[in-house]
Amino acid sequence: MSTNPSQTPGLRYPTNKKTIYDRNLNRSKNAELSRAAFAYLFIEMISYAQKKVRDVNDLEKRLNTQGYPLGAKLLTLLTSPARCHTACLGPTRILPLLQFIAQTLWRHLFARPADSLERSTTSPSDYLLYDNDPLVNQYISLPRELSQLNCAAFVAGIIEGVCDSAGFATESVSAHTVSEQGGGEGVVKGNELWPGKTVFLIKFKPEVVEREEILARGGG
Amino acid sequence: MSYNFTIFSPTDTPLFTHEFGTSRSGGDGIPRFTTAERSLNPFILHSSLDIVEEVQWGPSTTSGNAPMYLKHIDKYQNSYISCWITAANVRFLLLTRPRDEALGLGSGGAGSQRGSLAGGRAGLGGGNVYSPTNPATEEAVKNFFVDVYEAWVKTVMNPFFDVGKGDVVRSPVFRTRVAAAAKKYL
Repeated sequence: MSTNPSQTPGLRYPTNKKTIYDRNLNRSKNAELSRAAFAYLFIEMISYAQKKVRDVNDLEKRLNTQGYPLGAKLLTLLTSPARCHTACLGPTRILPLLQFIAQTLWRHLFARPADSLERSTTSPSDYLLYDNDPLVNQYISLPRELSQLNCAAFVAGIIEGVCDSAGFATESVSAHTVSEQGGGEGVVKGNELWPGKTVFLIKFKPEVVEREEILARGGG
Repeated sequence: MSYNFTIFSPTDTPLFTHEFGTSRSGGDGIPRFTTAERSLNPFILHSSLDIVEEVQWGPSTTSGNAPMYLKHIDKYQNSYISCWITAANVRFLLLTRPRDEALGLGSGGAGSQRGSLAGGRAGLGGGNVYSPTNPATEEAVKNFFVDVYEAWVKTVMNPFFDVGKGDVVRSPVFRTRVAAAAKKYL
């Protein structure tokens, strides 16, 4: 069964003889990417997603799809033994999962934790994650006809990827700008301070909530 | 001792399989499964996925976080299954088939000095019988899984690799990594 790589036809090594398996996982742990480079790349991603879209929803969905695989990969990376030197743990409940997203994931992506985490008062399967000033929206100004758009849909896609691959299936994860009137998802103060304040609405599937209740009764 | 290591996707598709024997205490690293055992292995591994699920969502979870290393979870005839489950629900299963002597089936204890670290040490405590819950065995298997996990993360980070679509790991470099971890610890 075992194959010697030197005998394998068709496999091409990079010129420096280093495959991805020879690289250190922690190499980029504390490395930061230049914000300008990210903004430039992100603008290109948006204009790529904007091709042939019908409406704002379609565009947000495409941004979401771009972020989704990232979430699945980041979950594996950020919980790896190389990263967490203590016991290797995986979240089995909704709250630890959301804390992982708000703390570990946010720190990894944006170098700071998310601003707040709430459970929706109206629907038990909905959770709200707030970011006062999302990095992705920093250099984006929306034209009038796209005023409904929130490009943090990309980040929502990442969150959805994390939740789904962790075994917490979601109906949808969407990003909304918190409106001045504070309508929709509850009254939020200080919008003048944070004009770009964004809420990520995480809707879990009913079976996930059901499992949560069963686990809670089991007293885990 | 013979081993079968298999990675299962969250949808129970086997993504990678590697068979090997022990390299400890003079072992040559060649698996010694009989033909019947070899064809039975996939069935044993698949059936233990049910147990994995039970343990995974079982009551032993502490404050909503469960350890990834589930240790020894299942036994079928002479095969023992150990499991490591990643946060993304990818299961690493290691099937261990100790030699007959280590199970007390054959000549009984004659081969204890040739047993691997992951099992042979059991001889020091409770006779020559292989025990999957022996701390030395658990530690050896854990170290093996941790090494494999690192290689696995690097595979997953590949943007063209999608676990959800059941992409099979074809990289020969990954296989050599697994073989190296096996040689080092098992």
